[in-house]
Amino acid sequence: MAVTVEQVKEINPLVPIKAKVIKIVQETPDVKTFHITTIDDKKPFDPLPGQLGMLSLPAIGEAMFSVTNKGENHIEMAIKSVGQLTEALHEIEEGQEVGIRGPYGNGFPLDYFKGKDILFIGGGIGLAPVRSLIMECVRNRENYGKLSVVYGARSKADLCFKEDLFENWPKVPNMDLYVTIDREEEGWDGHVGFVPAYVEELAFQPQVTVLCGPPVMIKFTLPALQKMGFADQDIITTLEMRMKCGIGKCGRCNIGSCYVCLDGPVFTMEQLKELPPEY
Amino acid sequence: MMKIIAKERLPEVLQLLAKDYNVLVPAKFEGVSRFTPYSADVELALEENVLMPPKDIFFPQTEKMYKFKAKDKSLEIEELPVEKEEQLIFGIRSCDLKSLECLDQVFLTKGYVDHFYKDKRDRTALIALSCLQPQEACFCGSMGVDPQNGVGADIQAYDLKDKIGFKAISAKGQEILEKISGLLAEEEVTIPTFGEFNLKADIEGVPEKLQGMFDHPLWADICRKCLNCGACTYVCPTCHCFDIDSEVRGEDGVKIRCWDTCMFGEYTQMAGGHNPRPTKKERVRNRFMHKLRYFPERYKMLLCTGCGRCVVKCPVNLDITAIIKKIKEAE
Repeated sequence: MAVTVEQVKEINPLVPIKAKVIKIVQETPDVKTFHITTIDDKKPFDPLPGQLGMLSLPAIGEAMFSVTNKGENHIEMAIKSVGQLTEALHEIEEGQEVGIRGPYGNGFPLDYFKGKDILFIGGGIGLAPVRSLIMECVRNRENYGKLSVVYGARSKADLCFKEDLFENWPKVPNMDLYVTIDREEEGWDGHVGFVPAYVEELAFQPQVTVLCGPPVMIKFTLPALQKMGFADQDIITTLEMRMKCGIGKCGRCNIGSCYVCLDGPVFTMEQLKELPPEY
Repeated sequence: MMKIIAKERLPEVLQLLAKDYNVLVPAKFEGVSRFTPYSADVELALEENVLMPPKDIFFPQTEKMYKFKAKDKSLEIEELPVEKEEQLIFGIRSCDLKSLECLDQVFLTKGYVDHFYKDKRDRTALIALSCLQPQEACFCGSMGVDPQNGVGADIQAYDLKDKIGFKAISAKGQEILEKISGLLAEEEVTIPTFGEFNLKADIEGVPEKLQGMFDHPLWADICRKCLNCGACTYVCPTCHCFDIDSEVRGEDGVKIRCWDTCMFGEYTQMAGGHNPRPTKKERVRNRFMHKLRYFPERYKMLLCTGCGRCVVKCPVNLDITAIIKKIKEAE
């Protein structure tokens, strides 16, 4: 049995358990997805879509990542190489033992999504946390309405989860995919352009939307959504801050009186309007 | 009636308690006063509160969390043995007791218990000591603290000038008092009147007012002379931010946590290069907002006890009471 959130609270929440990487998928030149199990091939913990986990190579460091999907016996984290730990993670091979603790954070409000049409908007590695929810909707297809995904990256090579985008998700009933890249390139006959403009061009009916991507994408997509009549409580995003403890104690990931690790990372636009405009 | 002992005979009490507890007493060491394990040759410092707050007894400046061994693809993680020794703090002041209330909120509530903190908190008894006179920068009275009656102690001791009086507060305190009762006399006492505070702060309405002051120009003004040295956060009894890092020797390593400070730029520096608090304005604002607005909003109490240590130790004389006044007067 995977460890439940309640059980995690009983054990020392700051000490990781030993886990191993059983599969590594090269998503883009700088993003890899790591499939992680416990030593006895179980799920290290059972995260809700949108929840987080602390992954460590203890001699190098420990950092918080969104869990991008879970399987019967494993969890997945899609990680971009941007710093000391993530560069080291990109060097490891299958079979590597790692430390892991979690799940942390609130996750997406699944009950709120039940029966509704959902628009997913992602940019670059921003699809990683969103994918956990898309996978939940795909697994329990009958619980949700129409699914639409708008996803963009700098180039074709930079698109994460290509297998999902071009093979798996197109087969899912009542699911529309809109994939775009920033600039024209040879061998690409899909849409070209930035995500915010594409969202506006597609003129969606107001519905629940989950968006995650670089700040510049969020900045220009929000006004487009508001212009189309999306309500603040239906615009949902996930935030990122530097984290150390993951349980709302070490102090650094606060925005106002909220801790992103504990009260987030999922926030609605309605909630964000109550928080300070910066950090 | 109160159980009392002459001040010069206090070491006899401490000596007796030291048989059952690791007794920590306010003492001067190399010119700095802090809580120190009692021994016959410690230089007791009972005239005024210690410079270094007692938080490190529960939340050490550097603390080992677990051991690990990393070799090639393999990893072993091993928890460290837990200390069992019962501790007793003698001479903790009301302001520092209040800081434990704040730290309890942080480390013991909101769904997750910090085991490292709880373990030490559970095996530490507290004998509070009342204050006779405010020190130069004390303003606990303005922060809802009574310098002569601490909250949360097992025993309240009273500084009666030439004597010390003891009053048990908790059952545990009663038990401790019985252990030392052979040394104590019983006497009718009058608790000396407390002096006048030199510093005061009018906190009324400040948390509420700060809600609308995130973008106020006063932060640029307040932060101007701040050096971001972090001294205020290290001497603060309530500041509790920490970093997690490791000490590695070859294949073996120990994960540690150590005090961190929101005054440092790296504190919020993210791997991708973005820093949400890039300049000292954001950092100073976060520190005071945290103490006076965010913490009260989250835990229904201020994150300042009026101990005055930051006022004394700030190298550029940033004074939180003056900042409270500025907030109060700001338009």
